[in-house]
Amino acid sequence: MVEYRRCLLGAALTILALVTSPSVLAAKTVIGSKAFTESVILGELAAQLTKEAGYDVEHRRQLGGTRVLWSALVRGDIQCYPEYTGTLRTEIFASQSVRNDDELRALLARESMWTSKPLGFNNTYVLGMRRDRAAELGITRMSQLASHPTLRFGFSNEFMQRGDGWPGIRQHYGLPQQNVVGLSHDLAYRGLAARSLDLTDLYSTDAEIVHYDLTTLVDDREFFPAYDAILVCREDVASAVRESLDRLGGRIDEMTMTKMNARAALDREPESQIAASFLREELGLASDVKVESRSARIWRRTREHLAMVGISLGLAMLVAVPLGIVAFHRRGIGRVVFAIADILQTMPALALLVFLIPWLGIGYAPAIMALFLYSVLPILRNTHTGLADIPRDLRESAEALGLPRIARLRYVELPLAARSMLAGIRTAAVINVGTATLGALIGAGGYGQPILTGIRLDDTKLILEGAVPAAVLALLVQWLFGWIERRWVTAK
Amino acid sequence: MSCAIAFEHVSHRYLHAVAVDDVSLRVEAGETVALIGPSGCGKSTLLKLAAGLAWPQQGSVIVTDRKLAPDNVLEIRRRIGYVIQSGGLFPHLSAVDNVTLAARFLRKERQWIADRVAELAELVQLPRDALDRYPSNLSGGQRQRVSLMRALMLDPAVLLLDEPLGALDPMVRHGLQEDLRRLFKRLGKSVLLVTHDMAEAAFFSQNIALMREGKVVQRGSYRDLIDAPAEQFVSDFVKAQRGLHAEALDG
Ligand SMILES: Nc1ncnc2c1ncn2[C@@H]1O[C@H](COP(=O)(O)OP(=O)(O)OP(=O)(O)O)[C@@H](O)[C@H]1O
Ligand SMILES: [Mg+2]
Repeated sequence: MVEYRRCLLGAALTILALVTSPSVLAAKTVIGSKAFTESVILGELAAQLTKEAGYDVEHRRQLGGTRVLWSALVRGDIQCYPEYTGTLRTEIFASQSVRNDDELRALLARESMWTSKPLGFNNTYVLGMRRDRAAELGITRMSQLASHPTLRFGFSNEFMQRGDGWPGIRQHYGLPQQNVVGLSHDLAYRGLAARSLDLTDLYSTDAEIVHYDLTTLVDDREFFPAYDAILVCREDVASAVRESLDRLGGRIDEMTMTKMNARAALDREPESQIAASFLREELGLASDVKVESRSARIWRRTREHLAMVGISLGLAMLVAVPLGIVAFHRRGIGRVVFAIADILQTMPALALLVFLIPWLGIGYAPAIMALFLYSVLPILRNTHTGLADIPRDLRESAEALGLPRIARLRYVELPLAARSMLAGIRTAAVINVGTATLGALIGAGGYGQPILTGIRLDDTKLILEGAVPAAVLALLVQWLFGWIERRWVTAK
Repeated sequence: MSCAIAFEHVSHRYLHAVAVDDVSLRVEAGETVALIGPSGCGKSTLLKLAAGLAWPQQGSVIVTDRKLAPDNVLEIRRRIGYVIQSGGLFPHLSAVDNVTLAARFLRKERQWIADRVAELAELVQLPRDALDRYPSNLSGGQRQRVSLMRALMLDPAVLLLDEPLGALDPMVRHGLQEDLRRLFKRLGKSVLLVTHDMAEAAFFSQNIALMREGKVVQRGSYRDLIDAPAEQFVSDFVKAQRGLHAEALDG
């Protein structure tokens, strides 16, 4: 039975690998970008320049944070992404204490990475407050924060963690604030607007600085290092592509970038269009972008979403049902299996996704793997419960007929447990439809894509474009399982 | 085959109770033995031991001249028809599917199965249309008849019947008792039948085994139990039962 389980798991993983293999994309140059507007615009610029160089290109937008992009680059899931020198120095090469950008370039070369010329702007971190709030307290410099211990800080989750973020600032400036929360960058702006937060981290080129009427605090003890924007690529990227990308060198200053950010964030202009018009006006390139119609968009995301939910659910059924049966017949194995499944279930989805990236890369594979792991427990538990709830006399009747164990399982026990098993599968499916929206964070697309973009741009319509189909899909799944249950497993 | 079932110094205890305590009991070929005793005395457990649904901690169980062991239990079970205390029909299968499940698993011919079902339906007097219904849509009496058909399907040499008429009202019960007795005679089966009703035991068999707290305290006909009780308990038990069915027993 153990052998059998191992085979099954192996088969499941093989299918997973086949379905999600990056080899499908091998011919393409893949550009990644982080989950904020500026990175998406820069990624779009890089993508269009790659295309200009005559290469097939795919832009995987808003994949996540630095860690996600860097590991994707190292693995070769993406070939390039926009980055900041400061981030590389302090996040990726923190242990090497890199002093300047030449050293950085050398380090990157050792990792088989190539960097473009600096694009021309320094997007450093700054701390921002509402202009009126800062004026009220008379704060203009970061060192003044020390005398206002009750201020409420809300930092982007990444900023909360990184060495050059909040922990570093607190130490460098000796800040006493206790009321510090981590949240998404875009929610932080809204927190400031609603006065539930006093201060957040910003990028110096953020369009929102204008939009929310914020003031940025002077870094009077020079904590933040320079964050020159560059493009990092794998060395194996074609030289024609590198040349094309280097045409951006020195062409984007802070003002230009802030304006482009504002066009995306405030005017809701698609990043591809902003990038195209920049390339047209600054570099004289006739870059044309085709705009996907809304229904085509929704249909594409539906397919992506269904693929994630369907494949993960199918795999989970293949694994969890036999595992549930084994767990029922072998108490000891059962306890171990349930302990592991319980732990997996309590792991936050985002953590699980990021955890899977070094192993499975970005895109469908980690998303499906994570959803698969979440689906296992409900199916496993309900299979087990369904079997355990079969009355003893029915079990004994089946035995008394002289049926061997497999036949009893097939003809009596599984049919009697079917209702409970189906309920487990239904639970898993509905959870999956919701959780799959997080797949967008690691490049698996789906309904999460517009939700993510919508939150980033504070665009309710866009959020609804993802949230409504997701809700409808969840209802459809409920209905489908209700129908299956009525049709096939209603107790007679 | 001289002996259908033989328990030889069989003991079985559950976690908290000794259910069967050093029982030796034989059911000869073609004979009906009625097992009776107060609730919890181990009757059902004894039947389970005979079908290999429970295994004795001591002693051995011999069915159709073969000692019951894990490697022959499936085969022996197919020579046993077992009706468990509550009927035990599978709720997800129609009556006819319940009856034919084992036969279909053993890949018996379709025609053979159909003929056998028709034959058994007539034998237990089950209306044709009841066969296609699910157990929840059958009356208690019909359910018992279907259970019986299922037990008889593979034409077993041995029948283990655990209160087959337990939950029925007196009228139906009386009719079925008649049917069953006729059936046992006609088929020449070896039967071990559990009941908690002395009148029923006496009706079915001259050969009653009275149990108490896991032990068989006396074996014999109803008259033997009255005339020569092995211990005070036998008299008490008979007396208590008699109060219930005086006329039936004495008539
Ligand atoms: N599965 C079990 N686990 C633990 N104890 C059990 C189990 N089945 C029966 N027993 C105990 O074993 C003893 C004998 O039970 P058994 O079912 O054989 O009695 P019975 O004579 O058939 O009673 P009844 O007339 O009520 O059906 C009882 O004390 C009972 O509580
Ligand atoms: Mg009983």
